[in-house]
Amino acid sequence: MSGDPALHSRRSLTLRFDIPISRTKEFWDALREGRFVTTKCKECGNVAFPPQADCSRCMSSQFEWVDLGKEATLVTFTRVQITPASFVENDPYVIAIAEFKGGTKALAWLEGVEAEKAKPGMKVKVESRTSKEGNPYYVFVQA
Amino acid sequence: MGRVAIVGVGHSKFGRRTDVNVAELAFESIKGAVEDAGIDKKEIKNVVVGSAGGWYEESLPAVIVNEYAGLDSVGTMRVEAACASGSAALKAACNSIASGEGDIAMAVGVEKMTEVDTMTSVELIGRAGSYTWEFENYGMTFPAYYALYAVAHMNRFGTTEEDMARVAVKAHHYGSMNPNAQFQKEITIEKALGSQVVSWPLKLYDACPLSDGSAAVILASEDVARKLTDTPVWVRGIGYSSDSANLSRRPDYVGLGASVEAARRAYSIAKVEPSSVDVATCHDCFTIAELMAYEDLGFCKKGEGAKMIREGETEIGGRIPVNLDGGLKAKGHPIGATGVSMAVEVTKQLRNEAGSRQAPIKNGIGLVHNVGGTGHYAYVTILSRD
Ligand SMILES: [Zn+2]
Repeated sequence: MSGDPALHSRRSLTLRFDIPISRTKEFWDALREGRFVTTKCKECGNVAFPPQADCSRCMSSQFEWVDLGKEATLVTFTRVQITPASFVENDPYVIAIAEFKGGTKALAWLEGVEAEKAKPGMKVKVESRTSKEGNPYYVFVQA
Repeated sequence: MGRVAIVGVGHSKFGRRTDVNVAELAFESIKGAVEDAGIDKKEIKNVVVGSAGGWYEESLPAVIVNEYAGLDSVGTMRVEAACASGSAALKAACNSIASGEGDIAMAVGVEKMTEVDTMTSVELIGRAGSYTWEFENYGMTFPAYYALYAVAHMNRFGTTEEDMARVAVKAHHYGSMNPNAQFQKEITIEKALGSQVVSWPLKLYDACPLSDGSAAVILASEDVARKLTDTPVWVRGIGYSSDSANLSRRPDYVGLGASVEAARRAYSIAKVEPSSVDVATCHDCFTIAELMAYEDLGFCKKGEGAKMIREGETEIGGRIPVNLDGGLKAKGHPIGATGVSMAVEVTKQLRNEAGSRQAPIKNGIGLVHNVGGTGHYAYVTILSRD
């Protein structure tokens, strides 16, 4: 720290958001059951990921849920060594982007693979996880 | 639309500025710009403040900054385009004059990033993508975003960690000649390669620092500019574009689509080719970002960014000298200030006022490339002497 005089403020601010998921609740429910699904527009056939109830291509709000399957191909990745403040209790983690059949991509942790041994083009599969707070999320693991 | 010129520039020292608050920091560059323009500050009718905010105590920086500098009852707003907030401020100020709203306006970029602890700063920038899908469960960081690009670029084009280190060495070399730069020490490739891994393969010396700083430019209509100065620097064209917040929706990770599109628009408006650019500032928040910028801006073909740095084409004496102010890497990157700071640097270069780090000016054309987030926003501004 510098030696400059500072008013060390006494007022701290904690922000915690309640993020609405009503429109995409099926995604999170399916994830709890180990399925990885997303939205497909009934008007134009656009498959979106992340899922969205309103089509960004034709603006229709008519959609159905489609299963993306489990298999994906690693596109790129990194190992995060310096983590954000709210992740300081985590060990360094590997973040990857992988592509499902049909071209849909997702970003998630890549578990069980050293960053040095990962390689674009590597086969991975998506798996469900539950946080200690009970929230579902997904990760990639080596196929 | 009328022509608009930069007639005054001001710049604070960048760095860890624990000696000043946000208004005092902005004042340094506002005062410099007013003096450089040789105007009375009361002639400024519109002030646009670029600041991403969140890491310093004030929520409404525009009014805080104006009040401190005695800019009473000006038309004002704070604009946000992440790390391109400064360019967005410049564009908004420029538009106000071009539309005939007034004859003199000012763009001020300011950020104070070090009033919160480092990990909180890392968190605030890391949240700057698609929060629910990238941060909540996965803790993305800003270095991680660019590392995803670096790995893809290395894999596709054979770009190496040494190539990225060369960008850092160049930045520190020119930063050592810029008294306003945060870092003023030369480094070696070995030192860069041996530095701490932040988000593999990016290391500490691949990353710009967290910075405090401000920059200001005063813009004027053609008639007023010609009365005020013999060396107006014209805003020839601003191209801007954007891309998905969510990285997984992008087609590839070897270049920034928003930069390509912003550049195409800017070249088209300004009616210039990349080959006529005498000097440029490129958005090197990470070393890989500078290499991708060479490609995205058309300075070289896709995949040949590393070749440009290896062959010294972006140093003084090379084809297009880039970041002669030290870049974000060595000069520092106070997010909202950066775009304005880049315009200050290119203005000085075009006026031949850059001293020991002056680029040869042949065509009188300079380029500012300013990216917000990881190519979430991109602004390309072309400045010229005529
Ligand atoms: Zn549709």
